[in-house]
Amino acid sequence: MDSNPIPELLPGTLYLLILRTLSHGPLHGYAIVKRIKDASREGLRIEDGSLYPALNRMLVKGWLASEWGVSENNRKARFYRLTPEGRKQLDKEAGEFDRLVRAIQLVMGAA
Amino acid sequence: MAFWNQIGNRLAYLFRRSRFDRELEDEVQFHIQARADELEQAGLPGAAALLQARREFGSTLRSREETRSVWQVRWLEDLGADLRYAARALRRNPALTLAAVGSLALGIGANTTIFSVAREALFSEPSCRDPKSLIQISVGGDTWVPMSQYRFLEESHTFDGLAGMNIQMVVNWRDGNRSYRLAGTHVTENFFEVAGIPVAMGRPIERGETDAAVVTYGFWRKRLNGDPNVVGRKLVLDGKPYAVVGVLPRDHRMLAGFGFTPDLYLTKDPGEVMLYARLPRGMTRQAAYARLKPVCRELDRVYPDVNRKWTQEVRLTAVGGLERLQQEGGPVAMPALAFFAMLVIVTAIVMLIACANVSNLLLARAFTRSREFAIRMSLGGSRGRLVRQLLAESLLLALLGTGAGLLLNLWLTRLLSGLHIPTPLPIELIIQPDRMLLAYSVIIAFVITLATGLAPALRGTRAGIGGALKEGGQTGPAGGALRNALVIGQLAVSIVLLSAGLLFIRNLIQATSFNAGFDTAHTVEATVQGPSDPREFVGAALERLRALPGVEAASPASAVPLNPFLAFGRPSPLRPDAGSRPVRVQYNFNAVGPDYFRIMGIPLLQGRAFADSDRAGAPEVVILNQNLARRLFGNANPVGHILRFPDNRDARVVGIARNSKYVTLGEENAMALYSPFFQQPVRGYAHFFVRAGGEPETMARKVDETLAEMDPSAAVETRATRDIFSGALMPSRVGAGILGSMALFGLLLASVGLYGVLLYAIQQRTREIGIRVALGATPGDVLAMVAGQSLRLVAVGLVIGLALAVVAVRPLSMFLVPEVRPADPMNFALVACVLAAVAALATLAPTSRALRVDPAVALRHE
Repeated sequence: MDSNPIPELLPGTLYLLILRTLSHGPLHGYAIVKRIKDASREGLRIEDGSLYPALNRMLVKGWLASEWGVSENNRKARFYRLTPEGRKQLDKEAGEFDRLVRAIQLVMGAA
Repeated sequence: MAFWNQIGNRLAYLFRRSRFDRELEDEVQFHIQARADELEQAGLPGAAALLQARREFGSTLRSREETRSVWQVRWLEDLGADLRYAARALRRNPALTLAAVGSLALGIGANTTIFSVAREALFSEPSCRDPKSLIQISVGGDTWVPMSQYRFLEESHTFDGLAGMNIQMVVNWRDGNRSYRLAGTHVTENFFEVAGIPVAMGRPIERGETDAAVVTYGFWRKRLNGDPNVVGRKLVLDGKPYAVVGVLPRDHRMLAGFGFTPDLYLTKDPGEVMLYARLPRGMTRQAAYARLKPVCRELDRVYPDVNRKWTQEVRLTAVGGLERLQQEGGPVAMPALAFFAMLVIVTAIVMLIACANVSNLLLARAFTRSREFAIRMSLGGSRGRLVRQLLAESLLLALLGTGAGLLLNLWLTRLLSGLHIPTPLPIELIIQPDRMLLAYSVIIAFVITLATGLAPALRGTRAGIGGALKEGGQTGPAGGALRNALVIGQLAVSIVLLSAGLLFIRNLIQATSFNAGFDTAHTVEATVQGPSDPREFVGAALERLRALPGVEAASPASAVPLNPFLAFGRPSPLRPDAGSRPVRVQYNFNAVGPDYFRIMGIPLLQGRAFADSDRAGAPEVVILNQNLARRLFGNANPVGHILRFPDNRDARVVGIARNSKYVTLGEENAMALYSPFFQQPVRGYAHFFVRAGGEPETMARKVDETLAEMDPSAAVETRATRDIFSGALMPSRVGAGILGSMALFGLLLASVGLYGVLLYAIQQRTREIGIRVALGATPGDVLAMVAGQSLRLVAVGLVIGLALAVVAVRPLSMFLVPEVRPADPMNFALVACVLAAVAALATLAPTSRALRVDPAVALRHE
């Protein structure tokens, strides 16, 4: 078990992280988790249990599409990819996130 | 947009739910496997790696559940579950289901059928191009104008086309060596072009064309045997060959509306026409009116008319929908509209009674299940959820009832569509189901769901947890008040229905046995249309007819009584004693032979009948009926007085005939004026009345043969005079048939309701009755108890119902012959007796059941 606690994700950032991760190309669920863990140098970890509800919510919204394919070690896996709709959403949310983070940093620096 | 996509995605999910679950399972397994693979590579043994991966993932069940819920549309799935549950519940109770669905279906079937018929007969759009820009014009307060005036208006080019049509025409069709009378609508050559009427085969009549005809589908099928080469075929109409250029589609609806269907349209000078104009694109009716007004002023200058000004009462009206009703068809259509409105109300009432029954049944069920509900609520089920589930049951009943009702509607309307009503311009309705009918039925189903389901659902779940769980919680009079109120309402409403139904049945009896003022039992009527020389034909025909063995007398006539379309008279000013004071009266006119009054059995009260000497050239004479004589001359004896007509002809009154019926059986104080047949211009047709001993049907055949062989170009139709009545009685028959059966049906439903309530009450009180009997109650006491409840319900229902009925049936007088008065106390007394008798029958079975209660069994029951 990890000894140092992993920070809670800000609400809504899970979608953003998934969208960003998929912007390079289609991935299956496990790969998404691993990619985020690696990219954040183990700083962020997605709860396995909350990944699939999130992915499905994004499918319902039409941001993602999914299809079955074959994984790197030859297993059948479901791959997710961005739809044009999802790419638009990524641009929008990324911009908003940047503004939010900058604003928080300003407040923290001023104190 | 995004919202609809989501709905779409979710709906798609509903159809692949099981596959979705399987795939999600696979996906989660893959995830865990992938993590295990990774851990194994990091050095963990296989089994430990898999365990570790599983632990890390957490509960796969929860994850799967959460994922699935992302897709679910909760209420939709709940509804599905509720409906499945309701279907099971209804299947377990087939008697209740059948009774409920059956009565709803009958109510809905009757109601929607009347809706369909009324919509088709009164509000249908005619078959033409863009009905919105096609209008009917009336000038000088009249929808009919002479041809010369029509031409003047047409040449003024006020509109994008002005065409004329005359629907009241009859043409003779010579087919082989016989001729037939057809309903031929005469149209101007540009009529099809202006109105844009589609044809199914061939082409429409074109501008500049003469001697052309377009036949209707029915005529083509029945009379021309569906001849595939009909286009180009010649029909000899009124002695002249006309080329058939086209056949109309099956669903052709005439501009005149009301289901009128001629045999064919042909180009022939109609004498008088109704005007139809095509408005230029974008022109409003107000603008068209402003344009037409100066043209009418010009018309007044060119064709001055002493009786009217063309500029007065210029109207432009739509060719379909409600507006058409308000105009020319008004006098005919308004009673029809009122009649349909009444039928819709009556059938809606029957449906309400049916709803009350279903509601009562559901209420009873809800209470027997209140224990179940209480348990579910105590386990955490919400009341809203239970109410929804009960409503799903009534929704299912309503849907089944509406579905069956619609099937009934389809069957009935198909039956009615095949009907051919032999008015002079035949009426045939083409009733097809349409979106309006569907919308109407959906509304009905929705209303029924709420009406039948809401009260039982709310009441049944109100008991709460404590009350219903107690042992014997079912015995209280739970819901009794509501159920009693429903039954009282049913009884009251069925009294209203019965009162109306009884009035119509009495109306039919009255009309059937009614003395029309003339004898129809021994006479034959023949109509001859289009003999080559009518005047000569009538003279020769009379001689031949009188020579037939068995014939007592024969007379010509220009009109047939009780034939509403041929005997109309316009109001016109008559001057008694050639004085200066004209009396404006509306009277029926008939030109008849000397024997007419003897043949018809109409006694002359004063003066004499016509004589052979009252011929053309002799001084003009007239006979008045009593009503007209009184109107013109007061109480003085009019015989010998002179009457001056608007065209300044003078005629001497020679006799007074007893009043009789002229146009309808329901008319009152109708006036009539008779002239000698040969003193009036003879038109292209004549009627003959022949009095004969023996059966009139046998005589009719002989008369028919005699007249037909005289002139093969003349169309002859012969019938026993009493058959005229079948047409005149039709409205009474239809009214009595529909209302009588509706009233009976309503009564049946109400008595079933009463029976159900009593039976249920006795079931509930079995233990109480048992105790009473055990403590010494006699059968008389038990009888009093049960019958007393019934009596109370019936008495209250009767009082309320009679009070309602007295008010409700008052407007019905417009449909009844004057001899049947809606306020007649006899009616209500009879209705009360019928209801009481039926209620007694409905009480019988429950009472005998109560009397059979064995205290030992009843007390052991718990």
